[in-house]
Amino acid sequence: MKMSLSWLASYLPGPAPDPSAAAERLTSVGFIVEGREGEGASTVYDVEVTANRPDGMNHRGLAREAAVALGREFRDPGPGPVSESGRPAAELAAIVIEEGELCPRYSARVIEGIRMGPASAAVRARLESIGSNAISAPVDATNHVLWDIGQPMHAFDLDRLAKGKDGRPTIVVRLARPGEKLVTLDGVERTLAGDQLVIADAEKPVALAGVMGGLHSAISDSTTRILLESAHFHPGAVRRTAKATGMHTDASHRFERGTDPLTTLDGLDRAARIIAADCGGEVRPGVIDAVARPFAARTLGLRLARLGSFLGMEVAPERCLSILAALGFAPERKGGAGDVIEVTVPSWRIDVAGEIDLVEEIIRCVGYDQLPETLPPVFEPGESAESSILEDRARDQLAGLGLTEAHNYSFVSGAENAPFVPAGPGEPVEIENPLGEPFSTLRATPVVGLLRSAQHNVRRSRADLGLFEVARSFGWKDGQVAERRSAAFLLAGRRQSHWSDAAREADFFDGTGIVAGLFSGLGAPAPRFEAAPFPFLAEGRSARIVAEGGAVAGWVGVLASPLAEGWDLADPVVGDVDLDAIPKPAPVTSVEIPSRFPGSSVDLTLTHRKEIPWRLVEETVKRAGPAELLAVDANNRYSGPGVAPGFVKTNLSLRFGSPERSLSREEVNGWRDSAARALLALPETGVDGID
Amino acid sequence: MTEAPFVLDEQLARFELDAARARTSAEVQKLRVDWLGKGHGVVTAFLGLLREVPKDEKGAYGAGVNKLKARVEARLKELEGAAAAEAARAAESARAVDVTLPPRVPAVGRLHPLTVVRRRIEASFRSLGYEVADGPEVESDWYNFESLNFPPDHPARDAVDTFFVKGGGTGRDRLLLRTHTSPVQMRTMLSRKPPIRILCPGRVFRKDDIDPRHLPVFNQIEGLAVDEGITFADLRGTLAAFARTFFGDRAKVRFGPTFFPFVEPGVDVAVSCVLCEQKGCRVCSGSGWIEIMGAGMVHPKVLENGGIDPERYTGFAFGMGVDRIALLLHGLPDLRLLLENDLRFLDRVWSS
Ligand SMILES: [Zn+2]
Repeated sequence: MKMSLSWLASYLPGPAPDPSAAAERLTSVGFIVEGREGEGASTVYDVEVTANRPDGMNHRGLAREAAVALGREFRDPGPGPVSESGRPAAELAAIVIEEGELCPRYSARVIEGIRMGPASAAVRARLESIGSNAISAPVDATNHVLWDIGQPMHAFDLDRLAKGKDGRPTIVVRLARPGEKLVTLDGVERTLAGDQLVIADAEKPVALAGVMGGLHSAISDSTTRILLESAHFHPGAVRRTAKATGMHTDASHRFERGTDPLTTLDGLDRAARIIAADCGGEVRPGVIDAVARPFAARTLGLRLARLGSFLGMEVAPERCLSILAALGFAPERKGGAGDVIEVTVPSWRIDVAGEIDLVEEIIRCVGYDQLPETLPPVFEPGESAESSILEDRARDQLAGLGLTEAHNYSFVSGAENAPFVPAGPGEPVEIENPLGEPFSTLRATPVVGLLRSAQHNVRRSRADLGLFEVARSFGWKDGQVAERRSAAFLLAGRRQSHWSDAAREADFFDGTGIVAGLFSGLGAPAPRFEAAPFPFLAEGRSARIVAEGGAVAGWVGVLASPLAEGWDLADPVVGDVDLDAIPKPAPVTSVEIPSRFPGSSVDLTLTHRKEIPWRLVEETVKRAGPAELLAVDANNRYSGPGVAPGFVKTNLSLRFGSPERSLSREEVNGWRDSAARALLALPETGVDGID
Repeated sequence: MTEAPFVLDEQLARFELDAARARTSAEVQKLRVDWLGKGHGVVTAFLGLLREVPKDEKGAYGAGVNKLKARVEARLKELEGAAAAEAARAAESARAVDVTLPPRVPAVGRLHPLTVVRRRIEASFRSLGYEVADGPEVESDWYNFESLNFPPDHPARDAVDTFFVKGGGTGRDRLLLRTHTSPVQMRTMLSRKPPIRILCPGRVFRKDDIDPRHLPVFNQIEGLAVDEGITFADLRGTLAAFARTFFGDRAKVRFGPTFFPFVEPGVDVAVSCVLCEQKGCRVCSGSGWIEIMGAGMVHPKVLENGGIDPERYTGFAFGMGVDRIALLLHGLPDLRLLLENDLRFLDRVWSS
């Protein structure tokens, strides 16, 4: 917001303040001077005024703050006398407020016999210095008032306002009738809704209250009689209209944040003086002042003990009194037991509603640099959320497994997301007001983001990739947005590549290996992988992850080729583990000591149909085995010359051991033979060396 | 045969001459046959002559020959050992490698800079007794705005461009993407009694167009402390302690007044630029200060909405952007680098 230093200085008696010092002090009390143009008296600041301080969005209000910040006197010379003549204004126009809550006060003046022309050089220079274009004297007069004291105003061509039954042009402040139309000053025809506050004449809307006037009733070169509006509107009423119409004006910006309910008359006088001076004409006696809800000043108490205990520092009561007085709070100290300063909140400080707001007034004027640095008392710390610990442990595990962590947008395009929805937490979650594509949908799995990252790297000649991301997956489920905590990964290109070996491409088992490694690293029992079709994975290289206990904990597989090609990838391996489905390890309170006896291993080679899953082989051996059978491992798989088509040879190891004794070769061989017999019972299965 | 010792010395010298030429196992083996071989071996021959030596000289002759034999055997053993060692060495040397060839490095995974920076921030506050809390990223209007003193239809909401969920309801239940992690603070206040000291890290969303300084998704860490007797000075002290552990012993903090609806007073927090020792540099835009946080004392209305009596308890809250701090720490020109996952960047950011 542009603010002129010389305009501010008109409220600070004495020499003009130093531009740098004033900027620094304003910033220190919360009006951040972000930029500066010009030198000396023609300095113009760019001030950031926060939404809670509309009273600082005009020169008088900001000067009041500057005075406190600089320790200077603030003096408002006021509008000065308005010379009036002719018929009383009240005989020339009438005002009816139908919506007193939304418009507590509407004040107006009538000026007749004006000749349209430019405003005086002084007014125009001020407006131009802050980047506001001069238009005509009446319009510039209202703009000047807005920037001077923060009262938005509007000038109607009185001859364009329809007359009421009593023959006077009548202003009616009411809600629009649904479907009513109004062409606003910007030339746009607007169809109004029933919750929008309008200024109407006896027949039709003539302005959107607090936002913009209508074109029909606007002043023009031929205007000779004007009605000046100076009103106080409810912030919500103006905001509703501005939002619904998508409009934002200097007036609405102030009304939405809250204007001073007591400046309507001041504004009228200031504008009337400028118009009378620059356009001639006669200001008619009196103000037509409709007050639907009289302003009641708020009184508050500031407990000095509370001030000290809240801030953690003492501020002398005298200092508090002088700060509050300078800010216009009319403070009064009520001594005694509850040492309290009572204040009357000035009408322009709509942000001050409680004791805490007074505390802020004191400390910001004392200066935050005066605040001591202390630490709160120690207390017994609690435990961090299990979820956040788990997420970080998963990150460490996946990095330990050789993957690089990625961070992606949570949004993807609807098309990118669609294939993965069946495996996500629910129906796609779309953004009502997205940035466009590819940001319209919350992803059903972080894998979508990883695909984008992989594509980015492949296009930069980094084709050998191992990436992971721990983030949320989203989906609508049972009328709610479900968030799943996912650990997702992607492997692409060569898995281990070295000059000494033939390169090997990442494959399905690298994927299940990452999943198994993650479970193991998190102390969970090994998961099972069940063949399961997912439409986005290659048929036959696609699995569901099942945790011990049967909970589904995600999916893993090779991305289906049309999808992969779309991301410039060939056979990437992807997976998504639902972190909450990984069983939490129970604390281990007694560890089983490893046996003193070394145990023994024996191998078997069987030939069987490809369709027989390893899991069945493993379970068959385990069922047939004694308590001493510790593990069954697959050593090797072979198909090709010497093996019938459709068959494979699997070499497996049986590991035996006992906590109490050494095992003899004979008993181990006996166990191997019974395992072999059990395997022979599988369809079309043979075991080498056994008929 | 009184010359026996002389003859033996001469033989010994001959043997040494032969031995000096024997290097390989085969040569040493031939030497053994030449000197100790049955029948033709030199020593064997001398032993055979013992029968012909006169009785009174037999003792001296025998001793001389045995001495020669012992010397030859000892020396042969030595030579055989050396030859075997030489053979082993030759075998090893056949297996020598070019040690300068590239090593076979197992895949090395790395954490993203955003994770590392977040953990560093968390660690500073954990040491001050804070614990980490967690909450949903899709929130209701009430948790994200209304409970935090952003009334419906209030201009304070204009500063926070919000993404809404399509079909996400209306009013206080309307679903949106959280614009800060403050809803986690509200959920924590509602679920337990003070004293509270929590950190709320997480993704947040603002409808900002993507450019070097803005991303629509970024990462925030907020903190909340609520207890009896917590003061504004405690907030300053806490953030100063954080600044020192995070940015170095000489870091200072500066508070400037600002407005956030959920705190009163609200402050912008700047940390003294440790890169230029406050002389002014590119990173601090010449000001000597870097704004890294917003903070303030929890607004009494927010405490009330959280079921906490604002007369009895006070508290402070603060929030900072992890992405921005990562940018600062790594001297990055553009936030977008953090979400591209370019491996050339992710590898380099840890080795620079
Ligand atoms: Zn610097």
